[in-house]
Amino acid sequence: MPLLDKETTEQVKRELADLAGPVRLVMFSQTFECDYCAETRQLVEEVAELSDQLTAEIYNFVTDKEKAEELGVDKIPAIAVIGAEDYGVRFYGIPSGYEFTSLLYAIRTVAAGKTELSEETLKTLAGVTEPVHMQVFVTPTCPYCPMAVVLAHQMAIASPMVRADMVEAMEFPHLAIKYQVMGVPRTVINETVHLEGAAPEPMVLEKLQEALAGEQI
Amino acid sequence: MPMKFQFTITPTVGGETAEGAAEEEVPVYDLVIIGGGPAGLTAAIYAGRARLKTLVLAGPLPGGQPANTDIVENFPGFPEGISGSELTQRFRSQAERFGAQVVLDAVTEVDFSARPFTIRTYGATYRAQAVIIATGAVPRRLGVPGEAEFFGRGVSACATCDGFFYQDKKVVVVGGGDSAIAEGLFLTRFAREVIVVHRRDRLRAAPLHQERAFANPKMHFVWDSVVEEILGEQTVTGVRVRNVKTGETSVIEADGVFVYVGMEPKTEIFAGQVELNEAGYIVTDKHQRTSTPGVFAAGDVQDPDYRQVVIAAGSGAVAAIEAERFLAEETRPTQTQPPV
Repeated sequence: MPLLDKETTEQVKRELADLAGPVRLVMFSQTFECDYCAETRQLVEEVAELSDQLTAEIYNFVTDKEKAEELGVDKIPAIAVIGAEDYGVRFYGIPSGYEFTSLLYAIRTVAAGKTELSEETLKTLAGVTEPVHMQVFVTPTCPYCPMAVVLAHQMAIASPMVRADMVEAMEFPHLAIKYQVMGVPRTVINETVHLEGAAPEPMVLEKLQEALAGEQI
Repeated sequence: MPMKFQFTITPTVGGETAEGAAEEEVPVYDLVIIGGGPAGLTAAIYAGRARLKTLVLAGPLPGGQPANTDIVENFPGFPEGISGSELTQRFRSQAERFGAQVVLDAVTEVDFSARPFTIRTYGATYRAQAVIIATGAVPRRLGVPGEAEFFGRGVSACATCDGFFYQDKKVVVVGGGDSAIAEGLFLTRFAREVIVVHRRDRLRAAPLHQERAFANPKMHFVWDSVVEEILGEQTVTGVRVRNVKTGETSVIEADGVFVYVGMEPKTEIFAGQVELNEAGYIVTDKHQRTSTPGVFAAGDVQDPDYRQVVIAAGSGAVAAIEAERFLAEETRPTQTQPPV
């Protein structure tokens, strides 16, 4: 049985109708000990069918270890959304519920290779020379969460130094505990700085700079 | 955990603009609807069917308040109940089916002093011959020490978002209305104990909610009490409450606090543009007209009393019908007065 119903399928087709370039959905799966791997794989395959520009590539997290390492994938289910280059856009856990919006948005933005971030943000990001890792913790029932995920992904697309993950907290409870996630969205930047809620662009940028400044000391 | 997967597509997130809006020659819409909850989207359905060129600026939380409601059981036509996110998605599909354009841009400024009206957002400037304000209401904060510090890490106003993090934990729900009780009941799926702190000695929630709450062994009640402080160092450890009758204070241990103490209308940007009442709600007549001709308001932004999806939707329909009439009146050929 398909995961996407007929109506949603039509809507997705419309959303992906004018992709600016080819996009690969590189998915890492495993048969055992992964709650939603099968569903995530099915979702990736169904979505890939809905645009000529999209291809699904499925890898096994264990037997394709090298590929996983190459893309920095350290947990499953994982989706890397890759366009003309690998911008570092990742989804860990199934992007269902409200997060499905984030997936579609990531596909469109990666296809275009350019974001809707402000001039100010782009200027600041251009000056970033140290690696930045943004992890946005979400739950599928959180309507505010895609805003935080989309913003982090856009920053990853805008800067070669930034990579950004959506992390579905319910599928990775050990990470939720490790990063003291008690509410979503919660964005963790470089392990050191965290931010609650769907914060506006300038505030996220400030936190990003704070994370970088903290490391220089 | 068994899970029914849903795939929700909300309008494009982040400063995207309606087609052509960034151009110099801004298209003038017949109707711009500010807000994408039940009132705004119902107005869009009616406006679309009336063939008005309609734009919905859905704002940062598409779907409005039901979008973070677990289940809506009192909207007619859904005898089994329907998830809040699915219901609002259906509203949106229906609006789009009739030609309304929905974008997620949030409004930052309006100018209703001259027509066409000007509506500025983060991404663009729009112009409209008529406007419906349906920006809704946002949860009121308690305004006590500890609340801001712990917001998002122990203090929440969204049980559907954050309930998961309270498996086998003890939580406090502040409030006694429908939201407090419904969300408190939702939290019993995760938490081992849900303590409802209410400032009165009885609930305001609907009797059905009350029956369920009193029958639920995980729900407990602290009456006549207000929260004075949210306590904790790294994480929330409890709340300090004061009994309003005796004045006594005590501490309730808890891992999380969910605040449902009513709503505040989202009207800051409309001050000076339309009449607001003392509580900040937009003043409307029974035709959903505001003090400014051509500007209508619907839903919770003008309704301090009922705050129901069905009522918001109903007032949205009224506003759209009235906006259409208003526009039709204007385009009707002017009749020359016969000489006296």
